[in-house]
Amino acid sequence: MKRRRFFFFFLKSISQRKGRILIASASVTLAVAVVTGMFGVTVGIREKLGTELKAYGANVVISPQRGDYLQYEMVKAVSGIKDVDEASGQVFGRANAGNQVVELIGLDISSIKGRGWRFEGQWPARPHEVLAGTNIRDSLKLAKGQRLELVQGTNRAEYTVSGFFEKGGSEDSAVIMAIPDIWELTGLEGQLSAILVRGRSGRLEEIVSGIKGIIPDAAVKTLRQVALAEESLLAKIQLLMALVTVVVLFASAISVASTMGANVLERREEIGLMKAIGATWAEITLFYKAEAVLIGLSGGMAGFVFGWLSAQAVSKGAFNSFISMPFYISFLSLASGLFIAMASSYFPVRDAMKYNPAVILRGE
Amino acid sequence: MSFVIVRDVIKEYETAHALRGVSLEVEKRQWLNMVGPSGSGKSTLLNIIGGLDSPSSGSVTIDSTGIDRLSEDDMARFRREKIGFIFQQSHLIPYLNAVENVMLAQYFHSMSDEKEAMEALARVGLSHRIYHRPSQLSGGEQQRVCIARALINSPSLLLADEPTGNLDRENTRVMLELLRKLHSEEHFTIILVTHDPFVSKWGQRIITMEDGRIIQDEPVHV
Ligand SMILES: Nc1ncnc2c1ncn2[C@@H]1O[C@H](COP(=O)(O)OP(=O)(O)O)[C@@H](O)[C@H]1O
Ligand SMILES: [Mg+2]
Repeated sequence: MKRRRFFFFFLKSISQRKGRILIASASVTLAVAVVTGMFGVTVGIREKLGTELKAYGANVVISPQRGDYLQYEMVKAVSGIKDVDEASGQVFGRANAGNQVVELIGLDISSIKGRGWRFEGQWPARPHEVLAGTNIRDSLKLAKGQRLELVQGTNRAEYTVSGFFEKGGSEDSAVIMAIPDIWELTGLEGQLSAILVRGRSGRLEEIVSGIKGIIPDAAVKTLRQVALAEESLLAKIQLLMALVTVVVLFASAISVASTMGANVLERREEIGLMKAIGATWAEITLFYKAEAVLIGLSGGMAGFVFGWLSAQAVSKGAFNSFISMPFYISFLSLASGLFIAMASSYFPVRDAMKYNPAVILRGE
Repeated sequence: MSFVIVRDVIKEYETAHALRGVSLEVEKRQWLNMVGPSGSGKSTLLNIIGGLDSPSSGSVTIDSTGIDRLSEDDMARFRREKIGFIFQQSHLIPYLNAVENVMLAQYFHSMSDEKEAMEALARVGLSHRIYHRPSQLSGGEQQRVCIARALINSPSLLLADEPTGNLDRENTRVMLELLRKLHSEEHFTIILVTHDPFVSKWGQRIITMEDGRIIQDEPVHV
């Protein structure tokens, strides 16, 4: 009953100042949107980069020195190195399908089976049967079993789309075919763009030096090194994001504080009166805390929605796929909204509470 | 023991000596008027008695409680049980209507009760103004809402600082008659500050202040 009365008086008091509360809530929204968006993109990038190689099950990548190719025979030699479980080659290319450019990946199709890719349709069984990524399927409006003519320079060949795949990465915009098929189309007979190696994880150093012994002029990177390179890039991106976030948070806190400060100044007389009719510190500040909670939660929720949408927009642009935002980010958004609103109203409220009611109420 | 006991109260501001040693006893149910020139310390003394301000030295006892020793929150709780205030300005909450303003005082005291608040407004002759906002009320009507608000929790002490200061003679008379009626019914103690000789004749006792001291203390001659 007492609580219902509190909400009665609280609603009366905020309905009087809708405009101000909206402004404060909007500045919290802005801050939370930036924090959520930044956080979401960072988490998303990390996830995307981390899964890129894991999907192939590889932990060592061999690539040629710039612009060059590796030789197909090397796959067999690398497979023979001690502690190497598996090695497979990949060929990257491009072709035209009608008036569209299509990325091509040539690989041993069986090597991607059961590695977190989603498939639909038939598995390629004969030459010239290919798998198309879901983005290609959508943009070319392909159907299962449909013929697809690919043109590369003067070469041209017909393929059958036996099925589709989705990995959630840039591959989804590519066509995957067997290595002999891509050699035929691109004229790269016997050459590879990369060799992916899967070896015992404790022996990667030894595997790398074994590879260097066979292919001295190749770039050999372990997954850990790849991860480290990504880490340092990520760290730079994150620093930039953190800076932007801090600036926005600061601006928002000032805006909320000045709104709250103005509220409180307007209500100085009200505070004095409440004191005179016997309200305690806690009873008076409850109104301001409730106001801050309202501003924080509404701003936090709106901020989460905007931040989430912009993170998805960025991810769609950068990776051509959406990111999965962990559930806890919504709590993080609400909590940061609450924190901004509470923290920035703390000082103005405390100052207003200090005014001597005797001075305010005599009002001379 | 007197209901209100003020003993050797001194109040110094950085720029002024507002009270230079005031002692005063007020009996239960007495109506005391405080007069004196502007700046003589009347408001300061009243605010110290009500615990809105604290003395630099000296003590204030109300109903056997030494209020100068109470914490701010305990003073607030003491105030809502025992003291009602009326000021020169109404200090009504602008976005609450008349009955809601009265209910706010109930809310901080215990529980707001709309029916009781309406009856209180009826007793000050405002049955027809219950849902009016302060801005829709005349000055006299606003001050009567303040009386209802001050008395809604049945305080034993009513402190009024120039309550008729903004009213014309007719509204002043209405307000004083109302206070006299309520005082005779509810037996609270009144300390009322005024500089209007017409007003100061309504109580039982007049004290005159000058330069932070009580210089005269006499019964009202009717
Ligand atoms: N908050 C304050 N700060 C400084 N001086 C004050 C303050 N309040 C009152 N005074 C001074 O104390 C003296 C008494 O003031 P007050 O009690 O308001 O007198 P009255 O109510 O009799 O007109 C005056 O000189 C006034 O200027
Ligand atoms: Mg005064």
